Amino acid sequence: MIQHMVEKIGGIANYGMISICLFFVVFTCALVWAFRLKGKFLSTMGSLPLEDEKEAPAAKGEAHHE
Amino acid sequence: MNAAATDVQTVKEPAKQEQRVSGIETFKYDNKIVRAFAIATVIWGIVGMSAGLLAAVQLFFPAANLNLQFVTFGRLRPLHTNAVIFAFVGNGMFMGIYYSLQRLCRARMFSDSLSWLNFWGWNAIIVSAAITLPLGFTSSKEYAELEWPIDIAIAVIWVTFTVNLIGTILKRREKHLYVAIWFYIATALTVAMLHIVNSLEIPVTMWKSYSVYAGVQDALVQWWYGHNAVAFFLTTPYLGLMYYFLPKAANRPVFSYRLSIIHFWALIFIYIWAGPHHLLYTALPEWAQSLGMVFSVMLVAPSWGGMLNGLLTLRGAWDKVRQDPMLKFMVVAVTAYGMATLEGPTLAIKSVNSLSHYTDWTIAHVHTGALGWNGFLTFSMLYYLFPRLYNTKLWSTRLANYHFWIALLGMMFYIVPMYWSGITQGMMWKQFTKDGFLQYPNFLETVIQIIPMYRLRAIGGSLYLIGAWIMAFNLWKTARSGVFSPDTEAQAAVAIPSHTEKKRWSHRALEAKPMLLTSLAFGAVAIGGLLEIVPMIVVKENVPTIASVRPYSSLELLGRDIYIREGCVGCHSQMIRPLRSETERYGEYSKAGEFVYDHPFLWGSKRTGPDLHRIGGKYPDAWHYNHLDDPRSTSPGSIMPRYPWLLTQKLETNSLPARIGALRKVGVPYPTGYEAKALAELKAQQAKVVLNLKVGSVTSDPDAEIIALIAYLQRLGTDIRATPTAAPAPQKTAQVAQPIQNTN
Repeated sequence: MIQHMVEKIGGIANYGMISICLFFVVFTCALVWAFRLKGKFLSTMGSLPLEDEKEAPAAKGEAHHE
Repeated sequence: MNAAATDVQTVKEPAKQEQRVSGIETFKYDNKIVRAFAIATVIWGIVGMSAGLLAAVQLFFPAANLNLQFVTFGRLRPLHTNAVIFAFVGNGMFMGIYYSLQRLCRARMFSDSLSWLNFWGWNAIIVSAAITLPLGFTSSKEYAELEWPIDIAIAVIWVTFTVNLIGTILKRREKHLYVAIWFYIATALTVAMLHIVNSLEIPVTMWKSYSVYAGVQDALVQWWYGHNAVAFFLTTPYLGLMYYFLPKAANRPVFSYRLSIIHFWALIFIYIWAGPHHLLYTALPEWAQSLGMVFSVMLVAPSWGGMLNGLLTLRGAWDKVRQDPMLKFMVVAVTAYGMATLEGPTLAIKSVNSLSHYTDWTIAHVHTGALGWNGFLTFSMLYYLFPRLYNTKLWSTRLANYHFWIALLGMMFYIVPMYWSGITQGMMWKQFTKDGFLQYPNFLETVIQIIPMYRLRAIGGSLYLIGAWIMAFNLWKTARSGVFSPDTEAQAAVAIPSHTEKKRWSHRALEAKPMLLTSLAFGAVAIGGLLEIVPMIVVKENVPTIASVRPYSSLELLGRDIYIREGCVGCHSQMIRPLRSETERYGEYSKAGEFVYDHPFLWGSKRTGPDLHRIGGKYPDAWHYNHLDDPRSTSPGSIMPRYPWLLTQKLETNSLPARIGALRKVGVPYPTGYEAKALAELKAQQAKVVLNLKVGSVTSDPDAEIIALIAYLQRLGTDIRATPTAAPAPQKTAQVAQPIQNTN
């Protein structure tokens, strides 16, 4: 019955495919990016919220990033 | 709790300057703005929950509105939802962001002036909502009910917040952006996009406008907005806050930072597509429904990735959960997030949705998110922040524990009856006898059945509200026992400029380039929106026109605006799905072409009362009159409120020409010069309705508002039964068509 509600839209099947393909690309890029990150960097970043509880860094540029 | 001993030094005087000594800069975090948002979220939380409780009580005791139009369910419901979403959660979100952003960026907010403009502007908007919604000034679009002047104010204040957010990020001392900040960026950009697109409307008067979209298009844009308001206002900022406050509370880093990256990109990309799941089995084209369903199911993966990442952060720290009420609230919040994000995709499956949609199951679902996820996370942040802002310990850990258990019990007493109620409704609506007739043909039977659940729900809501009062008292005592620090002094090294580092195309490099990250995040959400909206415009040209569908007459138009003002859409849908249980009960299923002049659409999202799309001609005018005056007189046991003011208030016709002109601008084919004869036509139709009422022994002033509302109700869904005029089918462009008058 739903088919009677709207007229067929030209090429509409492509939208589903385009959206899935786009997601695949974005998701793959995110995965590749995430898995290329070094463990040390991930560890530093993961601890960032805890860093503001520490004393000020000893010297310029030494803290908070590799 | 160990209070703000964590920071380098706390000082009372506001910071004016930043000092720099041998690469180390000393600066001050702004605590005053955090405190302001914290107090606001407590106050508005209590107000919003109280409005919800009053609305809940009216569903089993309709007289609780005291026959006052301003606090009747239809007007109260949007007040409750707006207060909870934008006032309680909104202020809670700003509180958490203003606190965590400064510390994660190691910088004071970009501009104190913008911070305070954000605070006062946002709360002025909330006050204006609290005034205008009870007065009936509403666009009727869920979670976007506020009228056009307030919509503009929201856009301005949101831009203020965004500038302050981006400005702070740009002046940060921490080179890399922690994942919480990405969620804040996605929130700022997407909410702006959603709000502006969905709020496009043509003003008629100071407090009245019409959506530029109609029918199916309006429905798709609205639920693209509505769903993503949940996604990007209630979820992404709170996920960012979870990623900040949970590690702080557990005193250990997030379980997997890598997972948080995947969580972020997958979540923001998928979420934006899922809106059409609110419109399954409706007159929305099937391709859009399928798209919404598929992406909704996919949404489970990133949502649960984030939820597990949160819970696993507590590995080895579960002993703390037993002692720290802040962590208790946090654990339940994250668990509720997991429950809601498993349930949401389940409800988005068409076969499940055919049962659940329009029932209280949806109410249970959203309250798992609102009470559990947003509420508990906000309470958790408040218990964390107050002792730190006031340099003291929490006044009473025992009271906080009481709050936790009362709120948890309240949440259970709320959602379990609503699940029961929703499933009961869905089953009863669909139940057929062995002879093939509806088992419960009278809708009222299905309402009376669930009233005990409504009573239980109100008990649950009361408990939750009591818990919030206990928290407010505890926080107030905490504040009284400590000394507030307007600023917190901190030190940080100057960040190394990104151009001094070897250029790399990696996520690590991306995190050091906020504008690029912002652009990519915006691209991820904009593509999804674009690919749904562009076809929507195509759909506009493809909605089959129905020759007999004509614009509303002048009286019906004003009646429709009264229907919008009273919030009837809060309980009555106008969308009969192509399911046998619905066509048997209500009549012919709704066609997309029937709504081409509906600015805005009024399909609704729940059926506390029956669907009204085919109500036209079903009952005599006098029945509607008596029913609106006192629903119990025609439908014993009904929980619909009385509308006595409609019998006495005069219909406002001065703005009729402006209303017709505005609708013409958005494509309704009223003939040129129709304004000149609209009033005479209106009077003639009023006289007909009054005559019909006399048949039913009812005498009424023709200028009473109820006459217009009856005219509108009698028109509903009748166009497909009308004979097409000789003129060609109305097109939404240049052609004109005569409004038809109902011959009741």
